[in-house]
Amino acid sequence: MQKGKGREKILIVDDSEMNRSILADMLADEFDIEEAEDGEAALAILDRSAKTFSLVLLDIVMPKKDGFDVLSEMNRTRLIEDLPVIMVSAETASDQIERAYSLGATDFIMRPFDASIVHRRVLNTIFLYVKQRQLLGIIEQQIDENERDSSMMVDILSHIVEFRNGESGLHILHVRTITDFLLRKLVRKTDRYPLTDRDISVIAKASALHDIGKIGIDDKILNKPGKLTDEEFAVMKTHSMIGANMLEGLSAHKDNPLVQHAYEICRWHHERWDGRGYPDGLKGDEIPISAQIVALADVYDALTSERVYKPPLPPEEAKEMILAGKCGTFNPLLLECLSDEFDRIRDELSHDAQANAARREIRNYAEAVHHAKGVSASERTLKLLDYERMKFNFYAELTEEVQFEYLVDDDLLKLSPSGAKKFGVETELLHPAEDLRLREQLGKTWFEGIIQFFRKTSPQDPEFRYECELPIGGELRWYRVIVRAIWSDDIEPRITSAIGKLMDVHELHNELASLKESSIRDPLTGLLNRNGVGEEIDRKLANYPAHKYAVAVFDIDFFKNANDTYGHLFGDRVLRVVADRLIHGTRAGDLCARIGGDEFLIVFEYDTDIHPIIARVFGAICGAVGDFALTVSMGICEKSSADEEYKGLFRKADIALYAAKKQGRSRYRFYDESMEDDAALKDADLPDSPKTVD
Amino acid sequence: MTLTECYRALGGDYDAVIGRLRSERLVQKFVLKFPADGSYELLLRSLEEGNAQEAFRAAHTIKGMCQNLSFTLLEKSATALTESLRGGSLDGYAEYLPAVRADYERTVAAIAQFADGLAG
Repeated sequence: MQKGKGREKILIVDDSEMNRSILADMLADEFDIEEAEDGEAALAILDRSAKTFSLVLLDIVMPKKDGFDVLSEMNRTRLIEDLPVIMVSAETASDQIERAYSLGATDFIMRPFDASIVHRRVLNTIFLYVKQRQLLGIIEQQIDENERDSSMMVDILSHIVEFRNGESGLHILHVRTITDFLLRKLVRKTDRYPLTDRDISVIAKASALHDIGKIGIDDKILNKPGKLTDEEFAVMKTHSMIGANMLEGLSAHKDNPLVQHAYEICRWHHERWDGRGYPDGLKGDEIPISAQIVALADVYDALTSERVYKPPLPPEEAKEMILAGKCGTFNPLLLECLSDEFDRIRDELSHDAQANAARREIRNYAEAVHHAKGVSASERTLKLLDYERMKFNFYAELTEEVQFEYLVDDDLLKLSPSGAKKFGVETELLHPAEDLRLREQLGKTWFEGIIQFFRKTSPQDPEFRYECELPIGGELRWYRVIVRAIWSDDIEPRITSAIGKLMDVHELHNELASLKESSIRDPLTGLLNRNGVGEEIDRKLANYPAHKYAVAVFDIDFFKNANDTYGHLFGDRVLRVVADRLIHGTRAGDLCARIGGDEFLIVFEYDTDIHPIIARVFGAICGAVGDFALTVSMGICEKSSADEEYKGLFRKADIALYAAKKQGRSRYRFYDESMEDDAALKDADLPDSPKTVD
Repeated sequence: MTLTECYRALGGDYDAVIGRLRSERLVQKFVLKFPADGSYELLLRSLEEGNAQEAFRAAHTIKGMCQNLSFTLLEKSATALTESLRGGSLDGYAEYLPAVRADYERTVAAIAQFADGLAG
C-alpha cells in the first residue's frame, strides 16, 4: 500500500465542506488527504502534482467546474488512464451515472454512503491500479532486458565478422533491412508461414549473424580480390557450418529464439530452392523460411554492393538477374515479395542505412511493447513506466546485480545492501575515491573510471556502459557497468548524481572467448587448425624474430588404405592417436596442428640442434595402431634468416615432404635447394598402396 | 437532549446514520456543523436574485448533506426542490420551497437545542 516513502494520497473534490470532511474522516487513518472545493481547484491541484495522487473522489454538482468538466479535462490530458476516479454523488439519474462511467470514472458511490463501503471501494481501486502499474513495469523491464541482451550478442558477434571482413558492416545492415521487408510482405501475402511480429523482428536481428562462420575462414581467402580457386572455394563454403556450430556451442542460450533462428540462418543461407545448395542440399521448404529469406537478401545486397572483385550493379539490374534465375533459385513466393517490395527496398538502402536501422529498431520495439500490454499507452503512461522501471532497475534487490548511486555534491557513494555485502564495505561511503576498502575490492581505477565517463555524458545522452575486469571477492571477473548521470534542469545543466549497476558478465565473456577458440581448433583432435596455426606462427615469428625455428610437415603413409580397409571411424582413431603422440612427443612451446585430412604440421623452437629433436618426435609418432602399421613421411625446413616468413618455410617443408615420399615414405627429410627441381614434378601421382612401392 | 432525541426531533433516522458512519462521535460532529453550512442562505439568496443554476446547486448540496446525515425529512423536501430547479428553470420551485423552509427550520432548531444541552 505504500507509495514511495509516504502513504497513498487521495484527492477529495466536493463543494460541501461537510461532505469533504465526512469522507476525509473515513479515510484519514490510512491515507493522506488533500481537498478541493470545486472542479477548478481540483484541476489546478492535479496540474501541479497529479503524480502524487493515487485516487480522486469526485462530486458531480459543483460551482465553476463540475465533476464532468473535471473528467473531460482528465480525458483530454489522458490523466484518466493513470489516475482512478471514484464518483461520489447524490445523483441517481441513470444518464448521469452512465455519463460519468463513459468519461472514465472507475466507480460510482451513491450518497448516502456507508463508511465501510467507501473504505473498501477506495482500497480496491487503489490496489488494482498499483498492481497494474507494477505488472506493466515488470513486463516492460523484461522486454527491455531481453532486447538489450540479444542486441548486445548480435553486436558483438557481427562486429567480429566486420572486423575480419571490411565490407560486412553495411552488408549486415542491408541484409537485415531486406529481410525485415520481405518477411513483412510475405506474411501479408500468405499464411503458409506462421510468423508473428515478434518472430519477424527476431529473424531480422538474427540475419546479422548469417556470416559469423567467416570468423573461421582464412583472411587471405576471405578478402582475396580475384576469383577463388576450387580449393579456396571449398574452404569458403565451410563458413555456413562453422557458424552453425558456433551457435550450437552457446549452450546457455539454446532455447533463445534469436539463437535458434540464427542457427538456421547460418547453416542454411546457402541452400537453394532446387536443392543444389550447400551444406546439406536441402530443397524447397525443407529450408527454414528464415534462411530462405536471408539467402535472397544476401544475394541481392551482394549484387548491388561494391566488392573487391566487382563494381556495384544498379538495383533494377540486380532484381532482373535474380528474377531470371541467374543468381540461384529461390522460393517463387519470395521472388514475388522481392518484386512487390522492390521500390521500398531500393529507396531504403539508398538512404543512410544506420539511421534507418535505428528508426526501425525503435518502431519494432514500440510494437513489441504495445503487443505485450494489449492496451494503448499514453505518453504519460510510458513516462510513468520509465520511472517505475528506473526504480525497478536500480533499487530492486532481487538480482545478483549491484546497484549504486553517487551524489556529486556530497561526494557520497551509496551501494545496495547486497552490493555492499559483496564488496565488504558500508552501504554509504563518503569520499569514495579515497576509500581504501573500495579500492582494494574493486581495484584502484573503478571509481575514477566512472567519474571519467560521467564527464562525457550530456543531458540528452546521460547513459554510458562499459565492460571491465574487476577483482571482486579476490577473483578477477568481467563486469558490465551501466551508469546514468542525472542532469539538473538548470539553464546550465550539471550532473547532480548518478545511478548505476554492475552486472557479472563473466560467463558471457568466456563464451565469446571459447567461440573464438573453437574457430581456430580442429574439433576431431583438438589441435590447432590451419587458420589457428597460421596466426600463432605469425605472432611467434613477429615477437621473437631472432629465435631458432623449424617447420615440419608430415602426413600418414597410406592413410587412404586405413580408411578404406578399416572404415572412417578407424581413420578418425588413427588421427587422434597421432595427435596424442604429437602432444606427448613435443614440448609445450612447440605448435602442433592438423592442417588437412591426414596432414599435420609442427613448429619447433629450439636452442642448438634440431636433428635429435626431429629423430625423437618422428620415432614417437610412428608405431602400429591396431593392425595398421602407422608410419609417416615428414619434411622439415629450418628457418635460415631472420626475415624468413612462415609461408616460405611451409612451402620448403612441403617440398622436403614430397622428397621423403618419393624416396619410399616412412622417413623424414630436411629441405635443401636440390629438391626444388623435383618439386616441379610434384603433381605426378604417387602410389596409394604399399604394394606398388618399389 | 441526546443525539437520538435530536434525530427524532428533526425527523431523521438515527439508526441509519450510525449504521453507515459507525461512530457517534463522527455523527455528532457533523450534525453540529450542519447549521453553519451556508448552502441554505445561498439557496434563498439565489432564488431572490433569479439565479437558477446557483439555486439548483445549493439545493443539491443540502440534499447531499441530508443524505449523508440521514436527515430524512429535510432530504425529502430538498430533493423535490432540487428536481424542480434542475435544467435552469425557475418556473416550478415556489411549490416546493415552503416545505424546505419549514423542514430546515425544524432541523436547525432541534440541533440548536441539542447543542445547548451539550454546552449546559
